[in-house]
Amino acid sequence: MKGQDKEALAYLYNKYGAALYGVAQRIIKNDDVTSEVIQDVFLKIWNKIPSYDSKKGRLFTWMLNLTRNAAIDKIRSKEIKKSGKTDSVEDNVYTIDQQNSAEMSVDGIGVKELMGDLVEEQRFIVQKIYFEGYTHSEISKECDIPLGTVKSRLRSALSHLRKRVRK
Amino acid sequence: MDIKEYISSGILEAYALDGLSSEERRGVEDMLAQYPELRAELNAIEEGLEALALETAITPPSDLGASILSQIEDKEAPAGATAETKVVAMQPKTSVWAYVAAASIALAAIASFLAYDYHTKWQSAQNAFAQLQANNELMASQYNQVNQKLEQLEDDIEIIGNSDFQRVNMGAVNEGDNYTASIYWNAKTEEAFLSIQNLKQLSEEQQYQLWAIVDGKPVDMGVFDFDVKGLLKMKSVANAATFAVTIEPKGGSVNPTLEAMQVAGNVG
Repeated sequence: MKGQDKEALAYLYNKYGAALYGVAQRIIKNDDVTSEVIQDVFLKIWNKIPSYDSKKGRLFTWMLNLTRNAAIDKIRSKEIKKSGKTDSVEDNVYTIDQQNSAEMSVDGIGVKELMGDLVEEQRFIVQKIYFEGYTHSEISKECDIPLGTVKSRLRSALSHLRKRVRK
Repeated sequence: MDIKEYISSGILEAYALDGLSSEERRGVEDMLAQYPELRAELNAIEEGLEALALETAITPPSDLGASILSQIEDKEAPAGATAETKVVAMQPKTSVWAYVAAASIALAAIASFLAYDYHTKWQSAQNAFAQLQANNELMASQYNQVNQKLEQLEDDIEIIGNSDFQRVNMGAVNEGDNYTASIYWNAKTEEAFLSIQNLKQLSEEQQYQLWAIVDGKPVDMGVFDFDVKGLLKMKSVANAATFAVTIEPKGGSVNPTLEAMQVAGNVG
């Protein structure tokens, strides 16, 4: 039984490790810290999988959110330690793609290419929320966009990306 | 509640990305339980997130996987020290594994059902297709028949309307009979066509035979059945003075059986 469970985790890692690594890496922007976080995330998956409730959503979504939350927690704590303040959203809007462009072109079709045909407002929201881990209300407050608009923009952006990814 | 509006508000995306307050989450969960189309949309959103993450994956350092698995082994060892904790820990994990297995079994079942379903549909489509083909062939042959009849009628009309053809009416020979037939004869080309108006039914062994009287002698113009429709081309003849029809044994005779003459008519 124990062997089988480990096999299941190895299966999950083989299938989703790179996807989750990509998610965390884009938030953290540092390979060593990302590896550390991904290791923690899989230990969490191992420990918490009994509490995963398939009625509330897909297994991947659950793992995705564990990863995003762990990555966000990591950069928040580090940023606070380092500088005592969080970067304002405006400052690093499009810096991530430049920093990560090397890795991004390695796997898949690349974020830049995927995001290329989103309209400016949608790209911004996806960048901040999906790839950088800002919360909806943070974006709303920092950029002075109504919360409802943030949500609906994220929706139209994600459904657009969904169509592109499935091609 | 307008479901479309609810969906387009983007709240399901926010839910999927864990971006809602716990109060809002409960609201979404209530809605999901009520409306299956919301559940389907959420599922599509989650599949999209998964596809997006897989598409933008970044290969982790090669030793990361091994390091994770070895850490789990380290943690498992003390956990397995007491039998009680072991049972508690294993039970739910097994259930997740069982969930994965159940999902794959369900998938296999769905796939074989679909295969069977498509096979059945394919077969019934093939049957329908074969039936359509048969119908089509039948229609084509009926069309050909009709077309041939039409062509024959057109030919007949041409002959009837052609002033070079002379109509010779043959009336009943025996008193009391009302048999009639006609010959369309072209004296120039010597062509002759027969048209039955009214002749009696013959037995299987008998046929009618057409004769022309030329210079006082009967000339055979061929045999025909009692049920011929339209104009029937007979043998050509020149200088005919009279046409007559006799009943002969099947295949015809060399000389007419005069007692069995049914109709006759002189060229006018």
